[in-house]
Amino acid sequence: MDVVLLSLLFAGMTITAYLLLNSLYFKYRWTLLTPVLTTTTIIIILLLLFDVSYEQYMLGGQWIGSFLGPAVVALAVPLYKQRDLLIQNLWPVALGVISGAFVGMASGLLLAKTFRFSEELILTVLPKSLTSPVAMQLADGFGGIPSLAAVFVMVAGFSGVIFGSWLMKLLGIDSPIGRGIGLGSSAHGLGTAMAFEYGPEDGSMSSVAMTLCAVVGSFLGPALVWLFF
Amino acid sequence: MMKFAIIFIQIIVLYGIYLIGEEIRTLFRLPLPGSIIGFLLLFTALMLKIYPLRWIESGAHFLLAFLSLYFIPATVGAMEYGEVFTGKGVWLIAIVLVSTLITMAVSGLLSQWASRSADQRRGS
Repeated sequence: MDVVLLSLLFAGMTITAYLLLNSLYFKYRWTLLTPVLTTTTIIIILLLLFDVSYEQYMLGGQWIGSFLGPAVVALAVPLYKQRDLLIQNLWPVALGVISGAFVGMASGLLLAKTFRFSEELILTVLPKSLTSPVAMQLADGFGGIPSLAAVFVMVAGFSGVIFGSWLMKLLGIDSPIGRGIGLGSSAHGLGTAMAFEYGPEDGSMSSVAMTLCAVVGSFLGPALVWLFF
Repeated sequence: MMKFAIIFIQIIVLYGIYLIGEEIRTLFRLPLPGSIIGFLLLFTALMLKIYPLRWIESGAHFLLAFLSLYFIPATVGAMEYGEVFTGKGVWLIAIVLVSTLITMAVSGLLSQWASRSADQRRGS
């Protein structure tokens, strides 16, 4: 088959599956139905079933992936709109975000190093508490594996969503600022969705924390890699 | 129709800012991703009122509404690394879980403590 036609087919298949599964998620709002997880699973099954290699799939897949960079740039808009919330709470946000970005990376790095994982895998785990598009680009820059980095980002998100409410109750984190920043700094997008269930202030705080952690992490990550490797 | 044209043009502008970020990254050999440099450029331009919000807002919202779509092709790539999670690699999942909870605890507790102590100083 023609390369262009094949690319169109794979891109179209991805978009169609995503839109369908996205509306399914919005209907039930069940974390396990998160569209990235469901769409990825279904596409992998389809590719295996029809014996298509990842390389072939990426002919079309890369078109979709090329929106990642501009989407990260676009995150400046929601952050700008929440600038008042950010400025009013500058000190708690700065402290939470900087500590969160640092602990998120350093703890993953130290744990993975303790268990003697390969350098490639440690560098892949490193940015897991940051939002996927940034985590993947960072992992790529470090010499890790971007697609596995995205998987670890998802594992982090699910960990936060599943154990977050229990942990925060245990530690007495019961303010919108504490919950929002805790969730946004550790469990990024999935955590932010959960924070909105606590309330709009939690949610806004979480999305501010998620975006700022991505920025702080982009500076801290290379510094940590330089220190440890 | 006009609305779609505006969204389309604004997405092209976002793409342009991203490319400028990539250009700066290569030029100065920065370890930062080009997209983050682009993000910082746009955020600064908005804060300094150099670039008005309404010239980028609908494009940014449209692009962000489907944010998780753009990394699906990458996550599908995990199919090539299945062997990582058989055997020792499974521990990486536990590591990520533990590290995520430590992160949440530290950032949540510190920010809550900071906001409460700030409130006290204000006398509220």
